[in-house]
Amino acid sequence: MKHANDRKRTFLLMTIPVVALFFAFNTLPLIKGVMYSFTNFRGYGTYDWVGLRNYIDLFQDGRVGKSYLFTLKMAVAATIVTNVISLILALGLNSKIKFKSTLRGMYFIPNILGALVVGYIFNYFFTYIIPALFNTTSILASSTWAWVGIVAVCAWQAIAMNTIIYISGLSTVPEDVYEAGSIDGATGWERFKSLTFPLIIPFFSINMVLSGKNFLMVFDQIMALTKGGPAQSTESISFLIYNNGMAGGQFGFQSANAVLFFVIIVAFSVAQLQFTSSKEEQL
Amino acid sequence: MRKREKMISLLLACTLPASMFLTGCGGSEAEDGKIVIELVHYKPEAVDVFEQLEEEFNKTHDDILLKIDSPNDAMTILKTRFIREDYPDLLGIGGDINYSYFIDAGILADVSDYPGIADINQGYRDILEGLEFVPTEGTYGVPYVANAAGILYNREMFKEHGWEIPTTWEEMITLCDTIRGEGILPFYYGFKDTWTCLAPWNSLAVDLAPADVCQQVNAGKTVFADEYREVAEKIQTLVSYGEDGPFAYGYNDACTAFANGESAMFAIGSYAVPQIKSVNPDMDIDSFVTPGSSDPDGQILNSGVDLQFCVTKACEDEGKKEAAYEVLNFLLADENLQMYLDDQSAVPCKSGNFTLAPNLDGMKEYITEGKIADYQDHYYPSEMAVDAQIQTFLIEQDVDAFLTKFDTDWVRYNRDIIQMVKDYNAQNGNQ
Amino acid sequence: MNDLKVKERYNMPVTILLILGLITIVFPLYMTIVIAFKQPSEMTNSISGILSLPKTWSFSNFAEAMRVTDFWNSLRNSLLITGVTVILSVVLHSMVGYAIGRNKAKNKWYNFAYLYVVSGMFVPFAILMMPLVKQTSQWGIANIFGVIICYVVFYMPMNLMLYSGYLVNIPIALEEAARVDGATTWTTYWKIIFPIMKPMHATVAVITALSVWNDVMTPLVIMSGSGMNTLPLAQMSFQTQFGTNYNLAFASYLLALLPLLIFYIICQKQILNGVVNGAVK
Repeated sequence: MKHANDRKRTFLLMTIPVVALFFAFNTLPLIKGVMYSFTNFRGYGTYDWVGLRNYIDLFQDGRVGKSYLFTLKMAVAATIVTNVISLILALGLNSKIKFKSTLRGMYFIPNILGALVVGYIFNYFFTYIIPALFNTTSILASSTWAWVGIVAVCAWQAIAMNTIIYISGLSTVPEDVYEAGSIDGATGWERFKSLTFPLIIPFFSINMVLSGKNFLMVFDQIMALTKGGPAQSTESISFLIYNNGMAGGQFGFQSANAVLFFVIIVAFSVAQLQFTSSKEEQL
Repeated sequence: MRKREKMISLLLACTLPASMFLTGCGGSEAEDGKIVIELVHYKPEAVDVFEQLEEEFNKTHDDILLKIDSPNDAMTILKTRFIREDYPDLLGIGGDINYSYFIDAGILADVSDYPGIADINQGYRDILEGLEFVPTEGTYGVPYVANAAGILYNREMFKEHGWEIPTTWEEMITLCDTIRGEGILPFYYGFKDTWTCLAPWNSLAVDLAPADVCQQVNAGKTVFADEYREVAEKIQTLVSYGEDGPFAYGYNDACTAFANGESAMFAIGSYAVPQIKSVNPDMDIDSFVTPGSSDPDGQILNSGVDLQFCVTKACEDEGKKEAAYEVLNFLLADENLQMYLDDQSAVPCKSGNFTLAPNLDGMKEYITEGKIADYQDHYYPSEMAVDAQIQTFLIEQDVDAFLTKFDTDWVRYNRDIIQMVKDYNAQNGNQ
Repeated sequence: MNDLKVKERYNMPVTILLILGLITIVFPLYMTIVIAFKQPSEMTNSISGILSLPKTWSFSNFAEAMRVTDFWNSLRNSLLITGVTVILSVVLHSMVGYAIGRNKAKNKWYNFAYLYVVSGMFVPFAILMMPLVKQTSQWGIANIFGVIICYVVFYMPMNLMLYSGYLVNIPIALEEAARVDGATTWTTYWKIIFPIMKPMHATVAVITALSVWNDVMTPLVIMSGSGMNTLPLAQMSFQTQFGTNYNLAFASYLLALLPLLIFYIICQKQILNGVVNGAVK
């Protein structure tokens, strides 16, 4: 009994201060931000309350609607591409290979290169190199295909981080699982499907959520590659929120957009988390 | 228990360096009772000149300490400082819509009592007045330098082929055909960077649409579908003389291409010259006014206030306005202004005998005569993304759809301003 | 015995495939390096021109980039912010990850706390920005300290997920054994669980360091006007409204890349060691 109390108290002591800090620097400003979404605030100076006007406008704004569709399409594609490749890469980098450290180090590099460098190089790649190789026009200049270029660059950069998470997930898989597996004669795909993958499901769901979130909030790559063009076909939600809200004069309206966006992803990911955590418990 | 202490000391150990650091960097107070004037400007590329000016000023003034800050992304920094109610004394900003917002937010002080304002070219003072949403009593900025947009051309190439500078729209088209006929690309565009679409747009619009078209639309007197049709049609024609698929190439590609002689002309502002020269330092660049009109005397130079100085209300309230004026006197002194012009190849807003960069030769006449009009995009709210709309239009080539959208979007994005204008007119209409 | 020998052999097909895959990284890296050594006048729009080697291999771009960014000062600030954030994150986030991770399945309050913090991840920074600027200045932490606190909060959701995910595979029996020996929960955590989570600490450290190292927005808005620069803030000076000096910028980015790459390689060893230790136990 004494022990149970100690355990409870310790857990509370561990949680409360940190969650309080989180409240002060995340929830508190969020509440203020939500408040601005009911104003015509420009980010500075005076402002008036406008009631629900921003929210009503939001649903009538074709540009905002388009940005939601684009962001969703892009995020789904990029999440799938990234997770498939980084899972394969992590399995490869985790197996008994030569030059293990060097290879892991090299595959980490895309993540550290700044947006300016990535933007310049891939612009060059899409504008000059690909058209010369395949005798086509640049996909970044096509309002139908520019999003594919963005998916490619986003995935290229994000794979490094997701691979690290998968590698650390694979490190929790005890060696004896494999030994038991090889005695049973399980090999390759079979072994992955029935032995490895179930053990790294928590990491799979973390990666899905993290990459999904990062791609839904895509901003840097858009600025580096297309700046929303051509023909406004690659304007992501964050692009609008930042460019029109922060840099432009639509702070109040874009705050409303941010609130809506937040509510949508939270609903979506809480559902996903609940779903995967119930799966985890079954195992 | 021992562990807990260890933990606490570990935590302390990692926060300590941070807090020590804090004490190290505080303190921006004036030493020995000098009045401190802080100037924040948005031209980080001019940091070297400003550092020189700062040093020179502080050497010659015992009572005032000038601090010049040239941050990157100054607009974000200024906005966040305003949120904190931490105002610099002097702002160096552009004459664009942010300036209009700052006046509207009551951040700037009236500087109409500044004596030096009389030396400023009337054309640029009018441009600033025009940027106020509703006519406001007073003056809020002292124009320092301007930039000009039109068409840059490769002077050597023009000489070699004996091409003449066009003075009318018809001559312009003939020139483009001639250039193309000789197997040279007339224009190189960098429309992948949407903002570059605004350069030819603006320089045509000043010739073809009234300078106060946006105010007129706000007052409900006209619509863009009427005023901008010719602009839209002519920009389409100009773009047809560019490279194939101009939406694949960015500003940087276009600068590099023009610098390497891949095109004869480049429809952009004088501000692009440093970037072009970084690729080809020996290039002989000159410029001419975009001839949008068929009347040789109907052309107007597209020029706007690139840098102006504004005194903040906070500075005035602290009683430091006189000191701020002293700084302005210093910055506007002919030799100091010339120093800035030489470094940035800019156009002075002050009347007087200044040496201009050679790439402005073709525009000199317009500048001295004051035949100038502001960039129309300075009146466009940035969130309306007119640059992106022009890019869309040039891709889809549908003039009517573009103009209709322009008008509907304008009303939507300027709702509050239009209301303000309406209220103002209702109040002042009877007088 | 025979079996062991087979296991020791390198998997060559996989090694070769991985080396081939490196093309996607080596090629952009090659371009970065070549551009970093070139002069602006060597920049062209032709493929052969951009891929060619620089005329001279001179470190003048690097020296100039270091001067423009005030490299050593900016580096020190970046290292300080990143270092303190990483230490605080590993200590605080692993602790809260443990408390919440162990309880969220049974206790609905902990489950709520988990979802509450994790959903904070989805708040767009743009909405927090202005209120945070005001708040940090009112609380007197519009400086490097405020930036660090913000980071510790921003990366809490992600790290909480990572730590509590890792805990799933750590048997609770380990803690029960310690309890039988009379250890308190607090000591059990620091003596047994915290060391076991070493591979995850390394992962969290790398990912957090990565995000903090490259971030521009937070220091830009929180510390603006304090006159202090981090490396990414200083690197902004290569890009002005009407021109970008790619050669200097690339040189500077290459310099900024090194500390993080070294840190990653060190942490990578920890992740590997973790596997070995886990196997021994």
